[in-house]
Amino acid sequence: MSIGSMLGDILKSFFKKPATEKYPFERYEPSQNLRGKLVYNPEKCSGCQLCIKDCPADAIELLVVDKANKRFVMRYHTDRCTFCGQCIESCRFECLNMTGEQWELASLKKEPFEVYYGRDEDIQFLLDRAAQPGTGEPCGGEGEGA
Amino acid sequence: MDLEPNKKFVVPIGPQHPALKEPGHFEFAVDGEIVTGATVRLGFVHRGIEKSAESRTYVQNLYLMERVCGICSHVHGTAFTIGVEHLAGVTVPPRANAIRVLVAELERIHSHMLWLGVAAHEGGFDTLFMYSWRDREKVMDILEEISGNRVHYSANVIGGVKFDISEEQRGKILSSLDFLEERTRHYLKVVNEDETFLGRTVGVGIMTREQAESLGAVGPTARASGVERDIRVDAPYAGYEQFPVRMITDTRGDLHARFVVRIEELFEAYRVIREILDHMPEGELTARVPRRIPAGETISRVEAPRGELLYYIKSNGTDMPERVKVRTPSLCNWGSITSVAVGHKLADMPMLLVGIDPCFSCNDRTITIKSAGVDLGWTWEDLRQHGIEAYR
Repeated sequence: MSIGSMLGDILKSFFKKPATEKYPFERYEPSQNLRGKLVYNPEKCSGCQLCIKDCPADAIELLVVDKANKRFVMRYHTDRCTFCGQCIESCRFECLNMTGEQWELASLKKEPFEVYYGRDEDIQFLLDRAAQPGTGEPCGGEGEGA
Repeated sequence: MDLEPNKKFVVPIGPQHPALKEPGHFEFAVDGEIVTGATVRLGFVHRGIEKSAESRTYVQNLYLMERVCGICSHVHGTAFTIGVEHLAGVTVPPRANAIRVLVAELERIHSHMLWLGVAAHEGGFDTLFMYSWRDREKVMDILEEISGNRVHYSANVIGGVKFDISEEQRGKILSSLDFLEERTRHYLKVVNEDETFLGRTVGVGIMTREQAESLGAVGPTARASGVERDIRVDAPYAGYEQFPVRMITDTRGDLHARFVVRIEELFEAYRVIREILDHMPEGELTARVPRRIPAGETISRVEAPRGELLYYIKSNGTDMPERVKVRTPSLCNWGSITSVAVGHKLADMPMLLVGIDPCFSCNDRTITIKSAGVDLGWTWEDLRQHGIEAYR
């Protein structure tokens, strides 16, 4: 039986650095395995769309520019993503990966949450088409050919 | 104020109350300081998860089920995958089973340390709360290191696990475990020896073995009353057959016994994790599972940090389940509060409440009683209307 059995911990802590992180002044170095922002590599993609079928959060869309020549653009919604990694598991061609470095995804605006991956000219083509009047849904519907 | 002598004085607590972190409504009838009766009303955080499971594929449901609970997300995923794998007739590779157990035990450590902090905080012992939560960061870091996420680790896929444990990660886990074990020994000493804390826990909320059995208590709450009930031992699942755990029980049944049982379980978790890391089976991480699951129904049970977690899955042969039923351990333990509360001081109620480690959001369900000939099946719109009317 004792009183103040944790006094020792408190006294020791007086001479130690605080246990809390000093973020954002000191950036936390996460593990390399951290599931951060999703990255898509269109080079290897076959357009099977299994990742989209399995995504529990509806966070990825594949916009087909030219199916025969395998030109795809991926629209990724970082705000919807739950970072479960199922899409990476589902992809047989290793087109998808999650980066350990990019995890500071907070934003005050909505635009940064919509990320496009693909060849620059394909993304530009889709954005130009979306800018034209009367096309309705931006960048065309999912799976719609050019 | 009504001052009639024969009327009961009822103290309402919740659903919005600073002592409760989640919404639940309790009414304690008191005679002076002493509680003479208690009732509980739940259902403030019903989310319709079982219903939404019916319109998602099995793969998507795995992540929905993980989100039933933020603290024990891995066991929910495990219970669901074990059920689906059983329906599909798939055998999971031994290495995947070992990793499932490893993550489950790491999760148990983080859950019990979180509980230790919360329970100490409700007892007014905030020093223990802050230090135990500081040390809990170690196990959160391990989980981030191996899985990539701190909270919803998503370790499971249907048919196996997502990641392997590398040699470097093994070293990190072992060194963190040494630190945690030393700290846990210190906390056990504090819980057993601090006089003020013993005053709040010894002899408070005694639940006898008979009471625990008749109320259907599960998990550490039941084990602290001497009931030998642990799914990991009674019906080993995943890798628990290969890596058996020792059941921790106590006969006293009071709050102090629940502290001791949970802390002793931490030591058992450290031992099992070390054993898994030393004897990790070799082999594949996943087995192939078809997208369409054969028709049938199954029940899978796992031992969550709070007790037995039960999943019922009914498949109709498509890639979406027809029915998923989840029974979380907190639901079984509520009865112990209302019956044990009588005769204690009102000030003991918060500690008694957290003594079962309740998880309000996980256990809220809605049921309808079907009368003959009338179809009372609910649509989403019915559920929404019910929600609006129930909380008006």
